Amino acid sequence: MTSSEPPSPSVDWAALRNSQPRFSGMESGHGACQGCGQALATRLVLEAAGPDVIVANATGCLEIFTTPWPQSAWTVPWIHSLFENAAAVAAGIEVALRAQGRKTRVLAFAGDGGTFDIGFQALSGMLERNHDVLFVCFDNEAYMNTGIQRSGSTPHGAWTNTSPAGKVRQGKRHFKKDLLAIIAAHGIPYAATASVAYPSDLRTKVRRGLDIEGPSFLLVHSPCPLGWGHDSALTVAVDRLAVETGLFPVLEMERGHVVETMKIRNPRPVREYLELQIRFQHLLGDSPEAREEREHLQALADANIERYGLRAEAPGPRDSEGADTVRRGGSRWG
Amino acid sequence: MGIERDGPPSPPRVTPGGFAFPGTTRSNHTGSWRLERPLYETSASPCHGACPAHEEIPVYLDHLAMDRPREAWESLVAANPIPAVTGRVCPHPCESSCHRGAFDAAVSIHSVERFLGDMALREGWSYPGFDGEKRDEAVAVVGAGPAGLSCAYHLRRFGYRVTLFDALPEAGGNCRVIPDYRLPGEVLSREVERVLAVGIDFRPGTKLGRDLSLEDLEEGFSAVFLAPGRQKNRSYSVDHALPGDLHHGLDLLWEWRNVGTLPRWERAIVVGGGNTAIDLARSLLRTGTREVHVVTDEELPGAPSQPGRGVMPAISREVGMALEEGVRIHPGRRIGRLILREERVVGVELVHALKEIEGQTPVHRAFEGTETVLEADAVIPAVGQEVDPAGIARLLRNRTVLPVLATGQVEGETRIFAGGDACPGGGIVSHAVGSGHHGARMIDALLRKKELSPKTPPTPIPYSSLNRVYFERRPAFALQEAPPEARDGFSEIETTGPLPLLRQEADRCFSCGHCLECDNCWTLCPDGAVLKTGGRSDLPVPYVFDYDYCKGCGLCARECPSGHIRMVPEP
Ligand SMILES: Cc1cc2nc3c(=O)[nH]c(=O)nc-3n(C[C@H](O)[C@H](O)[C@H](O)COP(=O)(O)OP(=O)(O)OC[C@H]3O[C@@H](n4cnc5c(N)ncnc54)[C@H](O)[C@@H]3O)c2cc1C
Ligand SMILES: Cc1ncc(C[n+]2csc(CCOP(=O)(O)OP(=O)(O)O)c2C)c(N)n1
Ligand code: SF4
Ligand code: SF4
Ligand code: SF4
Ligand SMILES: [Mg+2]
Repeated sequence: MTSSEPPSPSVDWAALRNSQPRFSGMESGHGACQGCGQALATRLVLEAAGPDVIVANATGCLEIFTTPWPQSAWTVPWIHSLFENAAAVAAGIEVALRAQGRKTRVLAFAGDGGTFDIGFQALSGMLERNHDVLFVCFDNEAYMNTGIQRSGSTPHGAWTNTSPAGKVRQGKRHFKKDLLAIIAAHGIPYAATASVAYPSDLRTKVRRGLDIEGPSFLLVHSPCPLGWGHDSALTVAVDRLAVETGLFPVLEMERGHVVETMKIRNPRPVREYLELQIRFQHLLGDSPEAREEREHLQALADANIERYGLRAEAPGPRDSEGADTVRRGGSRWG
Repeated sequence: MGIERDGPPSPPRVTPGGFAFPGTTRSNHTGSWRLERPLYETSASPCHGACPAHEEIPVYLDHLAMDRPREAWESLVAANPIPAVTGRVCPHPCESSCHRGAFDAAVSIHSVERFLGDMALREGWSYPGFDGEKRDEAVAVVGAGPAGLSCAYHLRRFGYRVTLFDALPEAGGNCRVIPDYRLPGEVLSREVERVLAVGIDFRPGTKLGRDLSLEDLEEGFSAVFLAPGRQKNRSYSVDHALPGDLHHGLDLLWEWRNVGTLPRWERAIVVGGGNTAIDLARSLLRTGTREVHVVTDEELPGAPSQPGRGVMPAISREVGMALEEGVRIHPGRRIGRLILREERVVGVELVHALKEIEGQTPVHRAFEGTETVLEADAVIPAVGQEVDPAGIARLLRNRTVLPVLATGQVEGETRIFAGGDACPGGGIVSHAVGSGHHGARMIDALLRKKELSPKTPPTPIPYSSLNRVYFERRPAFALQEAPPEARDGFSEIETTGPLPLLRQEADRCFSCGHCLECDNCWTLCPDGAVLKTGGRSDLPVPYVFDYDYCKGCGLCARECPSGHIRMVPEP
């Protein structure tokens, strides 16, 4: 446990990498930005899912950064067709596998653009037709791959290139679409939200989604250092605040009913979250508009806490502070 | 790749260079993007820096937390061979510096230290690390208190032949007079015996200055370590008046230890603010003296009322217990006059006083017109000790302590080293142990003809470098303490707890600057650039960074709970 020498040339790095005690579904050398939350989330999802899967991926950062032609970061079968149809492609694969009697699990991956907006009708159809697919949305709250345009998931007040902040508007005028309520309306067996700040929880939910027969949906909040304008080292810290402010509720639903929530032990002021991100910088000043929007965002967070009953009554092992406390020897990571 | 509409299909036409074999992104060394690189590097913990015996505290706490008590003890005794003693009597400055203190409560390091020390005695564990290279040189150590014992022990570990001299018939030094209610003699004896058994040639009853001279030692040995402590009572009188039956505090404690008796008085006044004064006062109360008063011109421990005011040097916790037990302390007073009938004390005049520290020298001041009278039948000075010049007058040159350099060498000497209470500073057991270790390292360097380079104390990792979100607040372990009314006689006041509780306590340690092997970095790297080594022999660390892929985002360093990962600019 002393100090790291620069990598010793005698070490067989490839062999060491190949013998890691975890499944690697997405290899290193991908082109995601430094500190990309979506890259982290994908790695975690695949670790939990294991090798016997097929992935259908919508257009977006994930698709682009993992496949710089002619290379691929994927070690599992993976297909990209269009921006709007990941759910439809996955549904087709699932039906084909079923016809062949194969047990391989099917995953669909998409960004928030490919889920909340353009991919939404395909997703809705997939859920309605009851395909046994786990659809994972990596929610970085904008169209990042094309240069940070607003999406239906972009939160109220956030700056993007198509929701600029100026004299008239303080960033995005509309609210983050309540996708979960829409998903709930489909009455599917399992839907959940998760955050890269809580990897154990995230991986448990991936396994649950895959274990349940029928369609399941997982929304993973995935900070984007480039689009949100936070330090690349703060990806996890920022997302922890997203959860602990109440802005991003972490929960599980079965058949549209909320069955479990990650309780917040000490709700944090929204301002702490905003301060770390350039997309909210215009809300930090003293102007009446900025103050009003800050209060508005705080009210939205408080409303989430109230709506889902997120406040912890007493400290618990799975609340926002207990969920990932340290264990020597790494034994906490499920 | 044209398709012929008519006729048989022809092989695809491909522009030279216009195709590629599919490959893995592993061939993209995205590490080239990096502006800063993470280093997996241990930093010093604050407790280590504060421990006068230089114990690697987070290392042994980690071993215990992971249920490896023996390894924990072995790591502990690599610095300090008498943890059952220090775990009981050290005022534990480590805990005052513990980062956990700013979070909920400091780790109860001394409880763990004591527990491991006791467990080793119970289990009969023997010291590791004595099978290395043997050296021909012989070293003399004078004084078998903690400083001398520690020096002899470490010299033996380094392979030297060691002869240890002490004037008294038993080793242990001043630790022998620490009363049983806080350090049972049995515990001290067993740790001391285990030290002596590492092959030290122990010569009890041999006094430097009486039975041998410094010159004898210089002639017979390659190097000398002097650890005589402070054995000479500082002279005491009140305006040249003295009680007829003058007893010095430390002598009474020795008498209690060796003969098992103490005088019984109606009302005894102990003068002084140190450990001797407090231990004597408590011992007198336990052996039948009806009332015991302690008079000192210093202030009670805790924050001084004004900067520069002298504070009682006794361990604050012990002062607290003395008060609980009924010792009456008069801080900010001194004895202005002894009230004598014949040579018998019948009382004293107390006067308001204070002690100020100006530079190095204390200034005592008393205020006329504030006198009160306290009846008493004994006045016992416990006002401190000086180095006994017997045999070392040449080195002392009229000073009351032995002057030493940072190398542990006595000023003006090459082969004579000194440590412990006999030197400036110190005054506690752990300091004596640390200075003995330091002396042994410097003697080793001298005899190997290497440069004598004292370690500069490492800068401890700041609290702000720890990621505290990964820790939960948890109450600290505390030793069971017998309430004052249940403290009968000299049985030990504090008792320890069972192993699982101490393990839990060890697990509260943040492991400041030391890897917890928590897997955070391995789990959270978006680029899979942190690899576990899984105990491979060619990689002596649990994790390595694969700089071929590390983009330098800094996430691992930020999410490392213990501050073990540091980002540095790319070379
Ligand atoms: C009553 C009392 C209570 C204390 N309580 C605490 C406490 O709670 N916590 C704590 O940390 N510290 C305490 N101390 C202080 C602690 O005991 C000393 O700091 C420590 O023992 C110093 O160690 P040393 O090895 O330097 O010297 P010593 O322990 O004094 O040992 C010196 C040894 O050298 C021998 N010696 C001296 N001169 C010669 C010579 N010329 N030839 C041969 N041998 C010689 C002596 O016989 C003695 O054995 C206490 C001290 C006293 C007196
Ligand atoms: C039909 C169609 N419209 C537009 C595009 C351009 N396009 C590619 S990726 C992308 C944005 C993706 O955003 P999102 O789904 O949120 O994923 P992210 O890049 O943010 O991860 C867009 C608009 C496209 N490929 N196809
Ligand atoms: S733009 Fe954002 S989501 Fe896309 S690779 Fe960069 S950090 Fe990841
Ligand atoms: S938390 Fe542990 S390593 Fe840090 S100062 Fe306290 S005992 Fe030492
Ligand atoms: S994150 Fe955990 S495993 Fe990694 S260096 Fe820090 S303490 Fe060690
Ligand atoms: Mg997006």
